Amino acid sequence: VTAMQEDAGRRTAQALEDLRVVEFTAGMAGPWIGRFMAHCGAEVIKVESRKHPSVVRLYVPPRAPEQGTQPQLSPWFTDWDAGKKFVALDLAHPDAVELAKRLVARADVVVENNSTGVMDKLGLGYEQLRAAKPDLVYFSSCGYGDTGPDRSFVTWGPNIETLSGLSALSGFPQRECTITQYAYPDTISALHGLVAVMCALEHRARSGEGQYVNLSQFEATLAGIGHLMLEPLANGREPRKLANRSLHQAPHGCYRCRGDDRWCAIAVSGEAEWERFCEVLGRPGWARDPRFATLAARLENADALDARVEEWTAGRAAEEVMAELQAAGIAAGVVQNVEDQYERDPQLAARHFFEEIEHLAKGTVVATGIPLGLTGTPGRTGRAGAAMGQDNEFVFGELLGLTPEEIRAYVEAGAIETVESAGP
Amino acid sequence: MPAAASAALAGRRVLELADESGVYCGKLLADMGADVVKIERPGGDATRDIPPFLGDRPGEDRSLFFLYMNTSKRGLTLDIAAREGRHLFERLAATADLVVETFAPGTLDGLGLSYRALAKANPGLVLTSITGFGQTGPHRDFKSSDLVAEALAGSMTVTGEAEDPPVALAGSQAHVIASTCAAASSLIALHRSRVSGAGQHVDISALETMTAVTHICGVGKWLDDGIIPRRNGTSLFASVPSGAYRCSDGLVYLTVNRPLHWKALAQWIHETTGNEEVLDPMFEGPSSKRLPYRELLDVFVSDMTSQLSVDHAYREGQRRHIAFTPVSTATAVTRDAHLAARGYFARVEHPVAGPLRMPGAPYRHAATPWRIARPAPRVGEHNAEIYGGELGVSEATLRAYARDGIV
Repeated sequence: VTAMQEDAGRRTAQALEDLRVVEFTAGMAGPWIGRFMAHCGAEVIKVESRKHPSVVRLYVPPRAPEQGTQPQLSPWFTDWDAGKKFVALDLAHPDAVELAKRLVARADVVVENNSTGVMDKLGLGYEQLRAAKPDLVYFSSCGYGDTGPDRSFVTWGPNIETLSGLSALSGFPQRECTITQYAYPDTISALHGLVAVMCALEHRARSGEGQYVNLSQFEATLAGIGHLMLEPLANGREPRKLANRSLHQAPHGCYRCRGDDRWCAIAVSGEAEWERFCEVLGRPGWARDPRFATLAARLENADALDARVEEWTAGRAAEEVMAELQAAGIAAGVVQNVEDQYERDPQLAARHFFEEIEHLAKGTVVATGIPLGLTGTPGRTGRAGAAMGQDNEFVFGELLGLTPEEIRAYVEAGAIETVESAGP
Repeated sequence: MPAAASAALAGRRVLELADESGVYCGKLLADMGADVVKIERPGGDATRDIPPFLGDRPGEDRSLFFLYMNTSKRGLTLDIAAREGRHLFERLAATADLVVETFAPGTLDGLGLSYRALAKANPGLVLTSITGFGQTGPHRDFKSSDLVAEALAGSMTVTGEAEDPPVALAGSQAHVIASTCAAASSLIALHRSRVSGAGQHVDISALETMTAVTHICGVGKWLDDGIIPRRNGTSLFASVPSGAYRCSDGLVYLTVNRPLHWKALAQWIHETTGNEEVLDPMFEGPSSKRLPYRELLDVFVSDMTSQLSVDHAYREGQRRHIAFTPVSTATAVTRDAHLAARGYFARVEHPVAGPLRMPGAPYRHAATPWRIARPAPRVGEHNAEIYGGELGVSEATLRAYARDGIV
């Protein structure tokens, strides 16, 4: 019987409704794990401190910079912390640490992504918390992992992208460093973190035993490119930089279409598709042209092939290219931007991928879907990320059973930080 | 202790019917101790032909992709479209907790192996389907690929230099992400199944999983600031300064977000180059304060890094608590001292490919450590063990199945 079952005993059909999670997180790599778990019905309580705000709380609205920092309005905080409850504690205060421990005693999982050593120093490390909750699953994520000579190094998502080799492996051969604009290591680490937490919960369900789990974002990112790492490890050489090409498919690329910065990705697989592709382009002769007749020839003459394909795509809208090729059973997709995705993608629309959710300051906001695809227990995104301390009363009053007087005393002592004092 | 340690997913059986878009899901589960039975078509799956190969010599046990993506799994061959093949699959599914599949939507239904049909015999079963577009919607029957998913998901439009075409990430990351989400979702569904007794169908769409991953520059940001994100070189739009900077012997990457990190950087630039202007308080605060000065600050940073080696910029920068990292090649990563000290790379002995070093644990569980239990299976390696030993199919029958191309 988990902590949540003991506490609530309520029955709704959500996959993780029997779990409570306490987060000490910032940025994305930690919070995104709780975001997924909250979507699946877990009660996720985020503990914050005013003196150490998450970087996403340091948000100045670009359309109204005169408003200054608006910790509740960040579109990132809004989304990555949706569905959670927010308490604010000054963790430098011993009473606050005691309250945090009492929360953890009623929880199943702790998630944290502070620099190595910070939680131990606060008195909230695994060894300290397991005393309060012996079967606790304690998940910790940091850039380099909690051992090794570089364990205390400072990193952000893009740093891990370059450190792992991904940014040197990606992109066009003449470029030395190609990175995403979306801090890919944060998300790939968070998703591996979610797998790690669920594995630990599986072990706990079977054995009754909790455990400490540590994730190095460097190593989680490497796991996702492990097959590329086998080139230096097994063949002793750097992998070829392919950009949009493939070692076993051609045509395989991103082709310019009509309009400004409009492109369509095309991936032709196998000889039957290649012949259909030539038919769609009105060039059946290409399939017999010795430069393109076999896969080996097409790979060899990829520059000439791509130039010819682009002659065809350049006069067409990217959407037409996708539609014509898909009608012939060939993989093709528009290089979509956010406007395409939100306003013109019929598939995302039909599956209601974007969710409108409640935001206490803005009314409603649009959240990106949580793509877990649980058709039996679909989950839902609750209220958008709110103010620090927004749920102090519920968590300390209802959950821990403190009286209003006791809460007031903790506030006066400076252990609990109130929503009012934490800013908008 | 490690010898006695148990595996987190011990006792869970998974059947995998997966092409390159889903094999990483099975690896994640297998390396944590699930009994993942990889079911290939008779003769072996096409993923065995994905280049590059060990020593550049093609062979069914030499694809580096296949060798990495199938560790810790057992291997069967089976033609599930044949009548006897379908029956064998049904018997296997009755013993399984999870089936992971990547067929086009409707394929399993057409064989009488829909979630509903499988759940009738095994109500707790979870069926996880990984496709490009999902099981429903107007594009469900469209063809996808890693490149196509990265295009539609909004990854390519924001990756690379502004003057270059959009570009995909190396190593089929849309497939890696779809697989990782599938593993997480499968475990969540199994958690629920343990509580309620009811499994479910998990519908993973690579378009959706990769779109979620691009969220930092996704729809929420655009609706907030009205700016459609595009390719922006190596600097991150919200971090100033950030980007790849030229050193005397290569590139170093720098991210500055927090006010304290900026102060430390400004001080170091001042010490190295004598720059006084960089100390101006107008640059202090969060990144948003420095947004208008990005180009100027890039010059200040480059003036300093051009005087340093990559290693010095990295080590001394980190000593000062500034987020500098090298822009590493894959080869350099295999020689990284920190990874070596952590014993990161795993050793696997493959009967055909020989000893291999491979990337190791993506996470470290104190009680149930990640491990590679066995190398990627050879074609049909466990046919006799599973069909004969576990399902009780006689040797003669198995020989007949092999002759008829069923296994």
